[in-house]
Amino acid sequence: MNRQIRLLGLGIMVLFVALFIQLNYLQIVHAKALEANPLNSRAVVQEYTAKRGDIVSADGITLAASVPTADQFKYLREYPTGALFEQVTGYFSFIYGSDGAERSYDKVLTGSQSPFKLPTSLSGLRNLLTNRDQSQSIILTVVDKLQTVAEQQLAGRTGTVVALNPQTGAILAMYSNPTFDPNLISGHDLTKVQANYKALTRIPGGVFAPGGYEQRWFPGSTFKVITASAVYDRQPALAAKTYPTLGALALPDTINRLHNFGGEVCGGQLPELFTVSCDTGFGQIGLDLGASALASEAGSFGFDQTPPIDLPFAVQSSFPSASSFTQDLPGLAYSAIGQQDVQATPLEMAMVAGAIADGGKMMTPHILDRVTNSQNQVVSTYQPKVWQQATSPATAAQMTTLMLSVVNSPQGTGVLARIPGVAVAAKTGTAQTGTGKIDAWFIAFAPAVDPTIAVAVLLPNQPSQDEYQGGTLSAPIAKAVIQAYLSSGAAPAHLAAAP
Amino acid sequence: MTRAPARRRTELGLIFLVVILTGGLYALAGFGKAGDLPADMGPFLGIIFALLLVGHVAMRRLAPNADPILLPTAGLLNGIGYVFIARLSTHEARLQAVWTAVGMAAFVATLALVRRARDLERYRYTFAFLGIGLLLLPLVPGVGENINGARLWVHLGSLNFQPGEIAKLALAVFFSSALVERADLLSKATRRVGRFLVLDPRYLAPILAAWGLSLVIFLAENDLGSSFLFFALFIGLLWVSTGRTYYLGLGAGLFAIGSYLALNVIGHAQSRVQAWLNPWAHPSTSGYQIIQGEFAIAAGGLFGEGPGQSNASHIPEASTDLIFAVIADELGLMGAAAMLFAYLLMVGTGLRIAVRCERQFEKLLATGLSLILGVQTFVIVGGVTRLIPLTGVTLPFVSYGGSSLVANYILLAVLLRISHDTETPRPTDQIPELYGTGAASL
Repeated sequence: MNRQIRLLGLGIMVLFVALFIQLNYLQIVHAKALEANPLNSRAVVQEYTAKRGDIVSADGITLAASVPTADQFKYLREYPTGALFEQVTGYFSFIYGSDGAERSYDKVLTGSQSPFKLPTSLSGLRNLLTNRDQSQSIILTVVDKLQTVAEQQLAGRTGTVVALNPQTGAILAMYSNPTFDPNLISGHDLTKVQANYKALTRIPGGVFAPGGYEQRWFPGSTFKVITASAVYDRQPALAAKTYPTLGALALPDTINRLHNFGGEVCGGQLPELFTVSCDTGFGQIGLDLGASALASEAGSFGFDQTPPIDLPFAVQSSFPSASSFTQDLPGLAYSAIGQQDVQATPLEMAMVAGAIADGGKMMTPHILDRVTNSQNQVVSTYQPKVWQQATSPATAAQMTTLMLSVVNSPQGTGVLARIPGVAVAAKTGTAQTGTGKIDAWFIAFAPAVDPTIAVAVLLPNQPSQDEYQGGTLSAPIAKAVIQAYLSSGAAPAHLAAAP
Repeated sequence: MTRAPARRRTELGLIFLVVILTGGLYALAGFGKAGDLPADMGPFLGIIFALLLVGHVAMRRLAPNADPILLPTAGLLNGIGYVFIARLSTHEARLQAVWTAVGMAAFVATLALVRRARDLERYRYTFAFLGIGLLLLPLVPGVGENINGARLWVHLGSLNFQPGEIAKLALAVFFSSALVERADLLSKATRRVGRFLVLDPRYLAPILAAWGLSLVIFLAENDLGSSFLFFALFIGLLWVSTGRTYYLGLGAGLFAIGSYLALNVIGHAQSRVQAWLNPWAHPSTSGYQIIQGEFAIAAGGLFGEGPGQSNASHIPEASTDLIFAVIADELGLMGAAAMLFAYLLMVGTGLRIAVRCERQFEKLLATGLSLILGVQTFVIVGGVTRLIPLTGVTLPFVSYGGSSLVANYILLAVLLRISHDTETPRPTDQIPELYGTGAASL
């Protein structure tokens, strides 16, 4: 009997060795293949279930937070402000990935960016064992109050408001319609999320491409800021040239003529042309400057470069290459007034206003102010950086004068942006889209001395009713945003002041 | 008698080690899951120590010469199981804690009631009827309940119980005693059929009847894992008691026929085998459990994701059938292999007790109980790792489930009782009895 019992023991040991071999196969040999299996959602779920810190507005409103759940995803990402901040925070969805700050600051929010260190303290050891409280929160430069003003001013109309601090590049507001509530696709009921997503993709205007930095329009007359800067920077003599008073400008190589908007007749020297936004005058200035001067001025103002904003998928604003005008001089005249193939994002045009406001310096635009850890201690603070020198301080000063007259001169196109006691510098734009509709632009900064806010407002595809719709439709919105910011409360001290 | 205190001191030392190990694991799981020590860290340590101490004191009083390794090893597995159940569900953990206490009470009660293992031999038919009765219980309308396609459960009020777990032990006692009685007859061919000498079926009949009946009941209840366990137990004991290798051949043949019938008659068995051969054919239905288990085990790697740190929420039956997948995920190959070693240690110790026994009945019973422990562990771990088809048996001492835990503590107590009997030097006044009981030791 004992022989059989020993053999039985041997048999059971063989069975257990088989188990051990199978474990080795599953956990070591075959583990990579199983991990890579498309049916294996563990890695995706793991990434998705990592605890994320909050996203908080500059004025302390929670924009995104992770709420613990009992399901396999562990945390539900919630956006208490709904659609208001979607184009800044973006979304965090199991099926559709992430966008906005959720995407660009993903590793900061989960804390996985902190380099692996061997624990040197008890709390370090604890972190290694728990791997849980590495999440970090980000506090944005975007101000909830200002964002709300932008939303209210747009009142549901398709359009975009971008406001930034010209001295730091901090984005203060970035709101555009159409937008959507990110809670719709961050939920854990995946069938519902899919249905919601499908419905969102059917909304015209593209809710998944934020109007502020992922879509482009003809900048129209707001581009004259760059054309005028080119005069001071590259051919100052033209500033003293008197342009003939015309209703339409004869163009080279064609019988077509460049008409002023609505049959208006205008002319004179640069300040006069700028104040009333004279298309014939600026068309001729473009021809006088030449293609390479205008193209390189556009380049120094950030055209044809991806803006270095800390948000994903920002698109370039575009100005045609100088060589493309050799066979198309009429195109050069149209480009000088922001038409033809010139296209810009509202972010770019706000940065153009910001560059004039800040003595020609274009600051790197950013939405991050600081990062805090789970104990609410500041881990790092964003340090403002100059992106590029758009123009000289002297030109910026000249341009400030011109932009002030747009608002303050009785003939100015931007008189609706006047704010009692505050010097507002601005430029209107009423771009023709070629479909009988116009894009109403307004870019501005204030106060003229030591400016703290630069704004771009765009209402695209407005019915063409009168000639200065940039001034009538968009200027009041810009004014409201500037007023809200400059009035105490909306401007947190550390954002308003230069560093 | 001088060995007794030494053995019990070893046991006590091992119990301290078990408390430290499981306490550490519980703390780590708490950190891993919630980033902090579990709130009930103190009570956890206190209760696990108190329960093992109760077992230990009972051993000192009732079986002082028994093996010192079995109780601490069972306690370790029980503790690890509890930590992982608590990590999966606080509700189930609370119930498991109660069942652990009941199991320990059953352990002490068994030691106290069964003063000599040989006493069990006298009640062989009682155990046979008890075993078969318990097996039949879930089939009684109004009492039995189907859970996951298998009719294994009996509910009395709000209490659910799997009587099959206890039945296994009762039938192991019956088989052992019946086989010991007939060992000689079963090992010698006495009847001539044509040119061949074959076994007299008369001697085999009652055993075959009991085996066939219980097998049919298991199949009727769709409990394939226990069916196999039971079959392996019977064939194993037959082989050990007679020493005739042809019983292993007979077993293999019967197993083949049984498998063929099961595959063609029981849909449940068919789907289990298909899910084993190719779980990827139906990854979200019949193959889901196996695939998720494999993913979890693979994610563990060499050292595991750390206690409490994996996402076990997409593993079905994580606290019962697939608890080994969760453990392999969080403790890695190292932890999973260590656990297999713990089982191997228990089985080996059980078989060593059997080898040292002088009386046939105890020898066979100890073998049978060790076999139950080893085969059951193999069936579930092999199923989870897709070495064999997955059938729902519990991982002894680890899986969530009261009946299994209580049954395993009773099994442990009987093994320790046999160990004590064997290791206790017989007083001289009992020598006549030795001669009186017949050929067993000669």
